[in-house]
Amino acid sequence: MRHPLHTLNAVLTVALLALASISSALAETLVSAVSSSQVAITSNFTGTQILVYGEIARDAGTVARSDKQDVVVVVEGPLERVVTWRKDHIFGLWINATSQTYIAVPSFYAVHATDDLRNIASDDWLKQYRIGLEHLPLAALGTRAPAHERAAFKEAFLRSRVHQGLYTQNSKSINFLSSTLFSTTVDLPAIIPTGDYKVTTFLFNGGVLLDKQEQALTVAKTGFEQVTFTLSRQYPAVYGAMAILLALLTGWLAGVIFKKD
Amino acid sequence: MKPGAQGLVTCVTRGAILQIYLPIAELPINVFMIFAMGGTVGFLSGLFGIGGGFLLTPLLIFSGIPPAVSVATVTTQIVASSASGVLSYWRKAGIDFKLASVLLCSGIVGSAIGVWLFGILQSLGQLDLVISLAYVTFLGTIGVLMLAESVKAIMRRKSGEEPMGRRPGQHNWVHGLPFKVRFRRSRLYVSVIPIFGIGSSIGFLGSVLGIGGGFMMVPALIYLLRVPAHVVIGTSLLQILGTMAVATFLHAINTQSVDIVLALTLMVGGVIGAQFGAQMGQGMRGEHLRLGLGLLVLLVGLRFAYNLIVEPSDLYSVSVIEEPVK
Repeated sequence: MRHPLHTLNAVLTVALLALASISSALAETLVSAVSSSQVAITSNFTGTQILVYGEIARDAGTVARSDKQDVVVVVEGPLERVVTWRKDHIFGLWINATSQTYIAVPSFYAVHATDDLRNIASDDWLKQYRIGLEHLPLAALGTRAPAHERAAFKEAFLRSRVHQGLYTQNSKSINFLSSTLFSTTVDLPAIIPTGDYKVTTFLFNGGVLLDKQEQALTVAKTGFEQVTFTLSRQYPAVYGAMAILLALLTGWLAGVIFKKD
Repeated sequence: MKPGAQGLVTCVTRGAILQIYLPIAELPINVFMIFAMGGTVGFLSGLFGIGGGFLLTPLLIFSGIPPAVSVATVTTQIVASSASGVLSYWRKAGIDFKLASVLLCSGIVGSAIGVWLFGILQSLGQLDLVISLAYVTFLGTIGVLMLAESVKAIMRRKSGEEPMGRRPGQHNWVHGLPFKVRFRRSRLYVSVIPIFGIGSSIGFLGSVLGIGGGFMMVPALIYLLRVPAHVVIGTSLLQILGTMAVATFLHAINTQSVDIVLALTLMVGGVIGAQFGAQMGQGMRGEHLRLGLGLLVLLVGLRFAYNLIVEPSDLYSVSVIEEPVK
């Protein structure tokens, strides 16, 4: 059974979307871009930044709105499966005892906005578009733990990710260069996971989504790092043999160089 | 000047911290920190005549490198550090190849079981616990034994007593076991059962803990099998070399966590440090060295115990489950 409010919301959303499409010729549209579509991880990679920028385009016929305009940028990394463990005091030792498994959580997640998220749109909007850390769908796999337990695990998971710099939420971090031009820099930490990223820019007006734009971003190891990694995954036997040979060679060289007699 | 060397010099002169990205651990590390770690452990290993894996693996883990990568990579580093030792003992005819090959075969069995168990523990989330517990138990026990033995030896020397040597023909219970084999170079005629036991348990511990096990192997060979002193270190080194090479290979295939860049950095630091350590070690008394080593072993064990016993500041930890290779 769905909650009547949800049904109402859904109806409203459909109605709004229909309305938006009718009036799209008149409404503001969003144009956005990312400074580079590829982040290359090389041997001296210590993290980097990407610039997300864009323009709120108004055609001549658009009536200037009195409502507040807000832009939100979300950078999301490839999805992964994680386990959050909690240690318990067992036989006098602190041991990983209980765990919660989350499937399909983003390996990286950054949200930048022009204002506090709660001033931009309602929770329903934010939840629908996965905007904001607390709106990430973190459903634990097959758990029968009580709600407060699940919340504690979720909080611990988010805390750990924020601490590592993999999850960030920065309200008021998007600068307007003019009334229509905006830009923000997103920090990509050194430990950033590789894969296909999605950069989504949202335009809200008075709590209503007007437009959204999506760009792809690839984070990949290049050159030696990429060759090494690929070798270790696709030809592990060759990789292992090479590691052993390298070690033997180094040992032998050391023996020759530092020979005493 | 090579372009690489020039780059290094500019980095140093600019006072920048040289960071290098590890392709398998997937994080950047400070090259000088790892190099210094390798060098320090290499120095101690040269000083005490040990592989130093039991020091290096914890150091890497405590400096933030994932335990799986630390353990697997140190096995590769041990191959390098034991290779130069094997070479010099080979020249001096200080290796019993027959004994080493029996030890090695059993070591391979042990390390195969170890790598297999390592994978299971990793998926159960209990790898860190087992590594910690094993370090506490083994290092604690061996550290205490070494301390006791060396203190006794120092006291004896002070009171002017004759040190106890190996008496020819002296036997213990080990020599009563069946399946006896003759090892000519070691002048031994012993059962293969204890040899298999020593080899496989050290191979097992080596692949699970990322240690060569020389500091356990040498006493076991001396006290249990009565292997004479002139072949014991060379033979033990050869067995460690073989077992760790196999462990590297199995880790590369099974856990895919051998980081070749990390390994190379450690190796270079290690072999250089070992030279200085060996020089210094020659001017020191055996029992003083054993006392120092015993203290070191005990300290590492206590450090692990501390983590298990004291309430951690954060009870929660997050680990990513590796997706199957696409």
